[in-house]
Amino acid sequence: MSGPSPASCWLRRKRLSGEKPSEKLLPDLSAANSEQRLAVSPVRTWIACAAALVLPGSGHLILGRWVRGIVIAFGIALMFSSGFLMQGHLFKPERGEWISWLFSFANMGIGLLYFILLAADIGFQLAPNQAAAPTFEYGNTFLLVAGLLNMLAVMDTYDIAVGRKT
Amino acid sequence: MTHFLAMVLFSALVAVVFAALSSEHHDPKSRLKYGVKVFGSFVLIGLAIAWVLYPLPI
Repeated sequence: MSGPSPASCWLRRKRLSGEKPSEKLLPDLSAANSEQRLAVSPVRTWIACAAALVLPGSGHLILGRWVRGIVIAFGIALMFSSGFLMQGHLFKPERGEWISWLFSFANMGIGLLYFILLAADIGFQLAPNQAAAPTFEYGNTFLLVAGLLNMLAVMDTYDIAVGRKT
Repeated sequence: MTHFLAMVLFSALVAVVFAALSSEHHDPKSRLKYGVKVFGSFVLIGLAIAWVLYPLPI
């Protein structure tokens, strides 16, 4: 016959010592609780996330986080345009070059603009002397990171919409 | 544009977005402080790595 489990013994000890067991296990959300927390409908959540994925910062604007949305949109737009100014180029998936798939995925994070540029074939072609520019690799990095930052912004939008964040 | 300036611009833009997205900082003042910390860390660590790599024949 088996006795009480170690977990139940631990809980019993905590109860006897007067300490609430959940206090140490759960994250401290007191700071977040003190501010207004938002939990919107699932439809609005998905609309906000889709908007954030299509246009950087728009998800936060839909959820009423104006300042944060504008700061994110401004930061990502500046990073993306700086990438082009530094002679960087966008990637598209190429057969047999697996790294291009990874870079394309990061570039796609920027949203609708990537697909507009892809359709117009702007920013994908590499000019003969473009790779010789000292800032060429910086430009590519700026373009990649702009997309990745927008992916983070989409996750942040989701967290705000479900009430996990303020 | 110099390499250093490109690094500073990169650090500044990433710090701005990180500060805006931070879940541990709830008021503008603490977000600003966090952004400055991220920016400084990027620049200082970048310089430290450059200093370590400088003597290497690469």
